Amino acid sequence: MKHAIAFVGLIAAALCLSGSSTSAHHSFGAEYDANKPITLTGVVTNIVRTNPHSHFSLDVKDAQGKVVNWKLEGYPPAVLFRTGWKKDVTMKPGDTITVFGWRARDGGNWAHSREITVPGGQKLFFGPPAGTGDGGNTPAVEVK
Amino acid sequence: MRAGFATLSVLLLAATASAQSTVPRAADGKPDLTGVWQGGSTQAGNWEEANGGTGVGGTGRNPSAPVVLSSNDRPAGRAGAPYQDWAAKKVLEAFNRRGIDDPAAQCLPGGIPRSVILGLFPQQFVQTPTQIVILYEYMHTFRVIPINAKHPDDVIPSYMGNSVARWDGDTLVVDVTGFNDKTWLSGTGTFHSDALHITERYTRVSRDRINYEVTMEDPKVLTGPWRIESSLMLREGTRLQEYICAENNLDPARYEQLLKNGVKFTRE
Repeated sequence: MKHAIAFVGLIAAALCLSGSSTSAHHSFGAEYDANKPITLTGVVTNIVRTNPHSHFSLDVKDAQGKVVNWKLEGYPPAVLFRTGWKKDVTMKPGDTITVFGWRARDGGNWAHSREITVPGGQKLFFGPPAGTGDGGNTPAVEVK
Repeated sequence: MRAGFATLSVLLLAATASAQSTVPRAADGKPDLTGVWQGGSTQAGNWEEANGGTGVGGTGRNPSAPVVLSSNDRPAGRAGAPYQDWAAKKVLEAFNRRGIDDPAAQCLPGGIPRSVILGLFPQQFVQTPTQIVILYEYMHTFRVIPINAKHPDDVIPSYMGNSVARWDGDTLVVDVTGFNDKTWLSGTGTFHSDALHITERYTRVSRDRINYEVTMEDPKVLTGPWRIESSLMLREGTRLQEYICAENNLDPARYEQLLKNGVKFTRE
């Protein structure tokens, strides 16, 4: 059970945290699909704390028991620092975590990470809401 | 009835005086804007307290806390930006391409007022009687703003422009010219020309808050002045951190892949 049971599935749109008006570096909305929420549980294999975005990798067992490595994107190190993440403490390689986010539009094993439940049960945001950076619900102009 | 109005007036005056008395003052009597601030927010408190909701930088501890507004999206209730028809079409095109043409996606500076309004990264004001220095964590930009000075004659067009300031009572008025045409103003696709002229008004209305009013004029692109109001909130205890955007910027290559592979991501 070291590799936790994977739970890969679509979550009801009503539960999705989309629609918030926030800003990050650039368009998560182009790369990731707000209509494809995903929750993954697995073992952290790597954490890359870089600008403009951090990434981490997660070994997740699929329905057939095959381990698939997922890559997830999120906030830069300074933002993680400000919001309570402690490097090498809050989340480390080898930890089993659950992450909620949205899948990449290209269908690969990539996702934009939002909320992570770390060992011990604490929940923290690793990335911004769905669609961040893509312009939101309304363009800046009215076009005649 | 008259007594009621009088009482109300006294109360209002007292409330105003109380708010003003909490405004820190510099040795020269001017409001002191020195401090670390967060744009696009109305929430008082330290960074963690003010960002506990579902907004930028939230920790998720208080999901009902208000979302911190940002620069990419048009806030609810804001009127449309007054772009000339041809220019409005260009803004809409960038919106429909979900912002992949954002200069910030290339790690270029945020420009003004975007750098002031965005909420994910703090900004620090350092005030002296003769100049104000503003440091932006986002993209590592800075502004050195002399007070009671004229714009130099030999300004090089730049991302952050050339700023000079004066005090209008308790309001710091900053005049900014000398822009290049490579930033977005406030919202996806909100481009401008090198004729951009910006007037900013910073009014510290309480210990915790600066009211920010910005007027953008660009006769080559806009039909008239575009005015936005926002606020900056004091974030005691927050330190500016490094943000070396070019370190590992994978996104432009991924946008290219999306386009090359015909992955549908645009709006209709």
